[in-house]
Amino acid sequence: MYLYDEIDQQLVEQRVVQFADQTRRFLGGQLTEDEFRTLRLQNGLYIQRHAPMLRVAIPYGMLNAEQLRMLAQVARRWDRGYGHLSTRQNIQFNWPRLEDVPSILAELATVQMHAIQTSGNCIRNTTTDHFAGIAPDEVVNPLVWCELIRQWSMLHPEFAFLPRKFKIAVSGALTDRAAVGVHDIGLQAVEQDGQVGFRVWVGGGMGRTPIVGKLINPFVAWPHLLTYLQATLRVYNLHGRRDNKYKARIKILVRDLTPAVFAEQVDQEWQRIKDGPDTILETHVSHIAARFTWPSYDPGAAEVDDPCEAYASTNPAFARWLRKNVHGHRVPGYAAVTLSLKKSGVPPGDITADQMDAVADLADRHGFGELRVSHEQNLIIADVRRDQLFQLWRELDVLGLATPNIGLLTNIISCPGGDFCSLANAVSIPVVSAIQERFEDLDHLFDIGDLDLNISGCINACGHHHVGHIGVLGVDKGGEEWYQVTIGGRQNGGAGAPGSDPAVRGGGAAIGRIIGPSFARDQIPDVIERLVNTYLARRDSEVERFVDVVDRLGIDVFKAAVYGAPLPSNAGVGGAQRPEARSD
Amino acid sequence: MIDHVEGHGWPNMLRDGAVVRDETRLFDAQDTQFAGTLTPPDEPGWVVTLSTWVANREALRSRKHPVGIKVQPDDDISGLSPSHSGIRQVELQGIAFISIVFPVYTDGRGFSLAQQLRHEYGWLGELRAVGDVLIDTVHYLARCGFNSFVMKDGHDPQQALNAMNTFTRTYQRSYPSLSETIPMPRGPHRL
Repeated sequence: MYLYDEIDQQLVEQRVVQFADQTRRFLGGQLTEDEFRTLRLQNGLYIQRHAPMLRVAIPYGMLNAEQLRMLAQVARRWDRGYGHLSTRQNIQFNWPRLEDVPSILAELATVQMHAIQTSGNCIRNTTTDHFAGIAPDEVVNPLVWCELIRQWSMLHPEFAFLPRKFKIAVSGALTDRAAVGVHDIGLQAVEQDGQVGFRVWVGGGMGRTPIVGKLINPFVAWPHLLTYLQATLRVYNLHGRRDNKYKARIKILVRDLTPAVFAEQVDQEWQRIKDGPDTILETHVSHIAARFTWPSYDPGAAEVDDPCEAYASTNPAFARWLRKNVHGHRVPGYAAVTLSLKKSGVPPGDITADQMDAVADLADRHGFGELRVSHEQNLIIADVRRDQLFQLWRELDVLGLATPNIGLLTNIISCPGGDFCSLANAVSIPVVSAIQERFEDLDHLFDIGDLDLNISGCINACGHHHVGHIGVLGVDKGGEEWYQVTIGGRQNGGAGAPGSDPAVRGGGAAIGRIIGPSFARDQIPDVIERLVNTYLARRDSEVERFVDVVDRLGIDVFKAAVYGAPLPSNAGVGGAQRPEARSD
Repeated sequence: MIDHVEGHGWPNMLRDGAVVRDETRLFDAQDTQFAGTLTPPDEPGWVVTLSTWVANREALRSRKHPVGIKVQPDDDISGLSPSHSGIRQVELQGIAFISIVFPVYTDGRGFSLAQQLRHEYGWLGELRAVGDVLIDTVHYLARCGFNSFVMKDGHDPQQALNAMNTFTRTYQRSYPSLSETIPMPRGPHRL
């Protein structure tokens, strides 16, 4: 966990003062609505359907118990007792009052938290592998580099008003859990001739125009990381389109120029600033590395007999949880544990204040007080001794946080959808619930195996539907909500997958393909079921996942299964009336 | 009749830490009132567009009263270099200041243009932000190399001056902290 130094703390406090003043001027009529909009967005504050929505940054998904307790306090005092973990490893509060936001930010600053650049057309929260620093397949620990990027990008004077939002992801492992292929900039840390550097993908992204990023530099040595980012951002800031917000992301510039020409322009700009003041020195890296606290693992933990198998043999529920929610750890005798926020009937990613407090206590007792947020909207206790797993499971079960579905169909990634978000065309949470109910049978769920199901309420793709093995997208047709279904998307390729990078096995993301005309809301569980049954009938073994079968057979066989016979629908031919929209 | 006076009657400009009045006037060759003339009269306070500058470089450079050059965010600033030289270098002679227009404050191109003018074109003279310039953006503008600011209506230059102190620490080393750009209490630099 990175601990602020005096400069970090002072900047966050000064931002609180600045925002309090901006809010006061807005409420006093000295800042117009137009002037205030971007200023508040740069501090994570949207005006939403019911109330302002405040998005608090969790830099690269790392969180400690004290911070989680503060989030619980915020949820209780200023919200309605819960928060929502986003796909950008952040947390959102849906019900604060505008007048209270400066006070909330002041409280957050006391535990080294803020809302800086969690929205707006600026460099957003940098994300990474939720197992960064502990993954057994890690080549380079990305955390120190993430913190360097956090500092560099925060309150950046040149890049505060980009053509559009800008998202950076960093991966340092063999399996790319950060989805570097679908970010404006994706960085894959690698080692070459004993030196750490980064493969740089640019122009990936989801939204209206889903594109997989292009590799524009196979190796930027670490001292040059920030100047290379600066050059890339400068080319984008000067030449990215500003005439049409739907064509303003860097992916459109890269596509229009061609990746080769874009790379050439970045290189020209880079040559002028390379070796300049933002070159990273060994001392910068060691200064930041020294401010990270690392758990003091017990070397004896590996010597203790692992009791898990014994418990699992007599307790099928624990066995299931052990199989899906417990992950390998680079330190023998330890494991990482995912707390599923995907229990049936609860909106994905939602967590109550009481759960937050309880989880903070569990993290203190079982995991050195450290937590991670995954972009799959779950919480992770990163460092648990294997001989404490059974005890932890029992406590999590009581809290409703032990649903054994990580990696499975019901671990649905979803945006808040039309129930909360003013941008959405359609609701997403009721669709999630209906699917989770349909696939409640755990034996069946386990038989289906690994399947990423992602749902977005609109084309902005906050629910990452493009990279779901099955993706569901809410669309608006004549004021009614309908749902389009895609299959074959993935956030990374893994070894040997088409498009994956042979050098590091990173990359390899793919965008799902639309199977055909869209569906009414209540048809979606049947559609999913038909897709799944087709997969089960066609897979060559249990090892072949849903997405592998789509890769092998193409989408036609799935299409035929879904559209071959009429789908039952209570809604008849029509979709449901879409909710009243209020745009921001 | 188009008002060609850029400045207001009241002090609306911040320059090198002082509140002053902007008394410049724009010479726009497209405007009928300037019909038949290629360049403004040789008097103080005239500002020309980048295209006027490029078309009349030699005449403008040899004036008694140097002009300001107004750059739009989509202008090609290589026009500030000596013609056909291929070098990125602003000629110092004959230029009173360079102003960069912010049509809306959310159009951030001017920040990058300022960086290029300061670091690639070697422009050491006055660099002015005009247009949608807010109390809330002067801090970033100053760090990108601007040293004068014509504030938009409703944004008091004195408050803008105070806002320069919003952040006393900085992370990005290639953008000076304000203590290095305008007279301000000195704040420690990152790392």
